[in-house]
Amino acid sequence: MTVSARPTTQPAGPSQRRTPQQASSGHRRITRSSILFLGLTIALFVSSLAAAGSGQLPIPFAEVVGSFFHHFGLDIGPMPTHPRGDATLWSVRFPRVAMAIVVGAALAVAGALMQGIFGNPLAEPSVVGVSAGAAVAAACAIVFSLTFAGDWTTAVCAFVGGLVTTLAVYLLSRADGRTEVVTLVLTGIAVNAVASALLALLMFLGDTQAREQIVFWQLGSLNGSRWQYVAVVAPMAAVGIFVACLSARSLDLLALGERSARHLGVNVERLRILLIVVVALLTAAAVSFCGIVAFVGLVIPHLIRMVTGPGHRILIPASALAGALALVIADTAARTLVAYADLPLGLLTSLVGGPFFFWLLRRTRRTAGGWA
Amino acid sequence: MRRPSRRLLAGSLGLSLATVVLTACGPVLSSGPSASDEASTSAVPRLSEVTPLDDPRSWQGVVDVNLPDPEIDPVTDDPQPDLPVTVTDAQGTEVKVTDTSRILALDVYGTLSHTVFELGLGDNIVGRDVSSSFPEIADRPLVTHNGHELNAEAILELDPTVVLTDTSLGPWDVVLQLRDAGIPVVVTDSHRGLDNLKSLTQQIADALGLPAEGKALGQRIASAAEATEKEIVEVAPQDVTGKLRTIFLYVRGQAGVYYMFGEGSGADSLIEAAGGYDVSKEIDWKGMRPISDEGLIAAQPDVVLMMRHGLESIDGVDGLLERFPALAQTPAGENERIIAMDDDQVLSFGPRTSDVLNALAVALYAPDAM
Amino acid sequence: MSAALVARGVALSFGPVAVLDGVDLDLHHGEVVALAGPNGAGKSTLLAVLAGDLSPDAGKVEVLGRPLEEWRLRELARHRAVLTQEHHISFPFPAQEVVRMGRAPWRGLAEEDRDDEIVAESMDATDTTALADRAFGLLSGGEKGRTSFARILAQRTGILMLDEPTAALDIGHQEAVLQRARREADNGSAVVVVLHDLSLAAAWSDRVVLLSYGRVASDGPPAEVLTAPLLSSVYDYPIDVIEHPVTGDLLVLADRQAAAKRKEDA
Repeated sequence: MTVSARPTTQPAGPSQRRTPQQASSGHRRITRSSILFLGLTIALFVSSLAAAGSGQLPIPFAEVVGSFFHHFGLDIGPMPTHPRGDATLWSVRFPRVAMAIVVGAALAVAGALMQGIFGNPLAEPSVVGVSAGAAVAAACAIVFSLTFAGDWTTAVCAFVGGLVTTLAVYLLSRADGRTEVVTLVLTGIAVNAVASALLALLMFLGDTQAREQIVFWQLGSLNGSRWQYVAVVAPMAAVGIFVACLSARSLDLLALGERSARHLGVNVERLRILLIVVVALLTAAAVSFCGIVAFVGLVIPHLIRMVTGPGHRILIPASALAGALALVIADTAARTLVAYADLPLGLLTSLVGGPFFFWLLRRTRRTAGGWA
Repeated sequence: MRRPSRRLLAGSLGLSLATVVLTACGPVLSSGPSASDEASTSAVPRLSEVTPLDDPRSWQGVVDVNLPDPEIDPVTDDPQPDLPVTVTDAQGTEVKVTDTSRILALDVYGTLSHTVFELGLGDNIVGRDVSSSFPEIADRPLVTHNGHELNAEAILELDPTVVLTDTSLGPWDVVLQLRDAGIPVVVTDSHRGLDNLKSLTQQIADALGLPAEGKALGQRIASAAEATEKEIVEVAPQDVTGKLRTIFLYVRGQAGVYYMFGEGSGADSLIEAAGGYDVSKEIDWKGMRPISDEGLIAAQPDVVLMMRHGLESIDGVDGLLERFPALAQTPAGENERIIAMDDDQVLSFGPRTSDVLNALAVALYAPDAM
Repeated sequence: MSAALVARGVALSFGPVAVLDGVDLDLHHGEVVALAGPNGAGKSTLLAVLAGDLSPDAGKVEVLGRPLEEWRLRELARHRAVLTQEHHISFPFPAQEVVRMGRAPWRGLAEEDRDDEIVAESMDATDTTALADRAFGLLSGGEKGRTSFARILAQRTGILMLDEPTAALDIGHQEAVLQRARREADNGSAVVVVLHDLSLAAAWSDRVVLLSYGRVASDGPPAEVLTAPLLSSVYDYPIDVIEHPVTGDLLVLADRQAAAKRKEDA
């Protein structure tokens, strides 16, 4: 751009400069994303197969594949030779792998969405206490033996608890349309503290079995996953992820701040309420049967952003895939690292996610100009 | 780790039994590859054969009761299960059992597996819970881990044709998974007490198609318990004020878990039947709940009944008194009058009820004989 | 010249403080209107009301003859673009992506096909093409301002509202930005721009609206509004207005001698 008083500044010059660079950068981005999606899909497929093929009951890999195909009427591969092999695969292992995929995708997308709404890369359901809030409500369902919605009761309660907590955190931590890092983290501490206290109270009130369930929630595990549960969680996750994908462009614009997003045609109030509901839905999907599996929503979207940039149209579906992949791997580790034992999944993810959170916090504070 | 309180009850049972020195009295009965080989176990004399203390309140010291391995004495050597059988289990679920050739009987105290052995179907048991460690079952693979956690794949690996369990083991979802896999799972009453010796035995026997054997076994267990109770009544002080004020304290590890067992826990009827005075009844203490220091002092127990591994987890009686100074303000604390019993024996009831009652009564009123 | 934007009797209070008090404003296609006035006079607040970010306590705002509140946000975004003072972003979007966001209101319409071309042109016009792949958040203040301006241009609207578009820009880029705004107006757009530099306002605007304590102190061609007595009174500081001896441009300067004298007198 020149300062001279050339009356019309639109000569042909710029377009020469523009075309090659633009084409190349656009092309690069698309290629990178394609490779990422392809890679994630393949990795998820392979790891799911590996997860289905590993466990306490030794079933050769070929038999796992055989059992899978036979279930769909295809006479491919050998059936498990162990008398309970087929039943084990279909009643214990496959639902667990399916649950890992669904819950991982839900948690990662919930994290990406929260970060988008809060405009803060540290927002995550477990960090800000939404998971704990959902667990409190779910624990209420158990302790007070609520059954108003059948199989869905726990999930419905978790959803309501998650919704209330998300709204509370949102209202408490925002100022001038933004959420400061410190405010968010401190709000999370406060909300988590209240939720822990309520859980402790419920444990005190509950009977043995309720106490057992609450401890289970606090640590998070996929042990005991059944198709009935997957059937509750999967639709919740699917709806949530679908709406999240639809909102991706608006989330991009929201990164400019609420005012600018509105100037670009985004109904910020409506988007915000919609996405808060979606975050609660996705968190509830994960928490209601698997407890608090922390930090997935923090680590996964961040890694994806490092690869493809922050654009939500790629970030959200890629996070879903990567979250699923991460949980399939983590859960396989949880149930095979120690023979026979089932390590709590939440313990594993926190072991990895906690230090990551700290690193991110330090980094965010350092580059406060961008994210504070 | 997942540590539901019920599982905590005997959480560290997987560890080998620590060596406990008891006064020698009778031969060591244990044999075979049992973990209790390492421990010096000895039969406890019958209460009727020993001389009770004149003043049981002034006796001082810890009594460690370690019953010898049970002698399995099946009611029949050649049981013929009447199959298929359809039973309505303790939760109201209708379960059809068609095959008892591969049985799993799992609960937190090992009562179910012991009962199955006494019914004569011990050879059909293909695995065990961590509390079942008598020689006859010790070689079967374990299916509970992390203390008392059911492992679905480990169970399915054994290809059981029927699973007997109760709600004392978890996660409950694993039970549901087993049903999903097509395995009949019969859930028995989780309550352990003197009041359901017969009915629990009957539930187990019915599920295995042995109703008549169940009746006989239930009768045998109940009669033996009654006979022991009668002996105890004769020895224990008649006057309520003469009976030792007893509480059952559940302590586990350094975490400060500190529960008193009361009404409905099984500990209440155990204390009464063993000739003690059940303090929990006096203060209307229900279930298993944490007790406060002042509550403990107010209870003024003469004797504290505990699980052995619980006591070991806090370094014995010294650790106990150091950790809970309130206990020192009670007669039990002053006299270090602690009775420790194996975690999976003390509240197991079932076939061992008579032995447990007798041992406790001896520990209360004739501890010198142990 | 048709009216692009009409504000009548706009009043707004923050608590007891009346920030705007009966402001009338007309903005026509083809003209650049500069909003000027001292700090706290209500310039940015007026712009926020005109943009629909704030609802006035009284008065009305019409865009293209339609009351502001009757517009759908998306449709409005195809008719007017707003450059805010703050150039904040939550995630490390590259500059080019940020500019492309300006095309969002046109998604799904025929105009979408020209996105690449328009984004490139807008970046070129603001000298930001070289920044395309750099993270917006890591740009300097001036680079951010230019990139945001490129985003506003990419929105391709008939009405432009610019809140201090020259802040943090060097003199060359200041000129270039206003030159571009001028060109948009010459091509039929309506431009309202908040400016602190009155010489710039004089050079590039058709009209200057001078605000003082939430009221319009004067509204007219630069030569009529930017007079030494009026400015000195509104800004409460001695101000000199001179004509450039060669170009005839109005130059608004602080009269430091008078200021020093006034201080002595006080």
